[in-house]
Amino acid sequence: MKFKDNLPIYLQIEDYIYLQIAQGKLKAGEKLPSVRALALELTVNANTVQRALREMTAKGYIFTKRGEGNFVTTDESRLEEMKSKLLKQELAAFVSRMEKLGVERESLTGLLASYLEDTREE
Amino acid sequence: MKALEIKDLSYHKNSKTILERVNLTLEAGKIVALVGANGAGKTSLMRVIAGLAKQYKGSVEVCGEADEDRRKQYIAMTDSLSAFRDSRKIKDVADFYRLVYPDFDDKQFADILEFMNLNADERLGSLSKGMKEKLIIALVFSRKAKLYLLDEPFSGVDAMSRKKIIKSMLLWKPEEATLVISDHVLDEIAPVIDEVVLIKKHSVLEQRSAEEIRAEHESIEEWYEGFYEGEE
Repeated sequence: MKFKDNLPIYLQIEDYIYLQIAQGKLKAGEKLPSVRALALELTVNANTVQRALREMTAKGYIFTKRGEGNFVTTDESRLEEMKSKLLKQELAAFVSRMEKLGVERESLTGLLASYLEDTREE
Repeated sequence: MKALEIKDLSYHKNSKTILERVNLTLEAGKIVALVGANGAGKTSLMRVIAGLAKQYKGSVEVCGEADEDRRKQYIAMTDSLSAFRDSRKIKDVADFYRLVYPDFDDKQFADILEFMNLNADERLGSLSKGMKEKLIIALVFSRKAKLYLLDEPFSGVDAMSRKKIIKSMLLWKPEEATLVISDHVLDEIAPVIDEVVLIKKHSVLEQRSAEEIRAEHESIEEWYEGFYEGEE
């Protein structure tokens, strides 16, 4: 995976794991790969992975079983909250890009609706 | 726990200033990039830490040990292998390492060679620059050290070999050991480092957390280049 240069990597690792959970690649209650495995998979420092996992634990999205590793929370409402945060983040990025292109906020819904209409599959 | 503590280090060679009033502390378990222009003193600093350059002033402690000979047991530094003839095989170099370093681990060396796709029967003269650098890294991580010093492990190495070398660091660096990697560019190693130490004008100009720099700047590379603006 390619990281952005202007954002702390631990935040990007958090987003990467949230995305895996939202996509169902990691399920509620499932065990996460080890710190070392994640570090290798993403080619990052193990300390940075540790930090991302610490943040996620503090937010209640994952939990640690002593000696067993880290697991995705089984609290469905917590996972829903995480997913809606992820969606809001994507929407914010989309709106900001559209604004840079000179599209006013008021015209966004109309534009999006007609785009969806045009690209609707038969 | 401190892996390295340098206080007021100055080093002169042939009445030329190489290092001046260097103060630097590195925590155990960190991966640190040592950056600076060519000739800034990165290699000299590593040689002083490793006890290879001796006529310095100030104090250098590795894992709390200041004595040059005794602190060597905690350090593994890359060697350019220039003392070995081209006709020598990789396994001959390993034989030498086994003799000189009691902490050299044969099994680990075999594992890393395999990971690097190197064959112990190959002669040094037949190795490309990238293969030779992989061998140098394999040798250094076959030793059990507290402080690993890698002097410009990526110079002249192609992108694929660089990736392999970076992965090998993540695989074989002991968790509590500290790794110092010198380079004059940062883009490739930026995602794997905890800290950047910038050497300029014979001393440590900056020591920053990589994540902090990322939060405040466009990129680590941009932050680094900022120190050299208007100098080209």
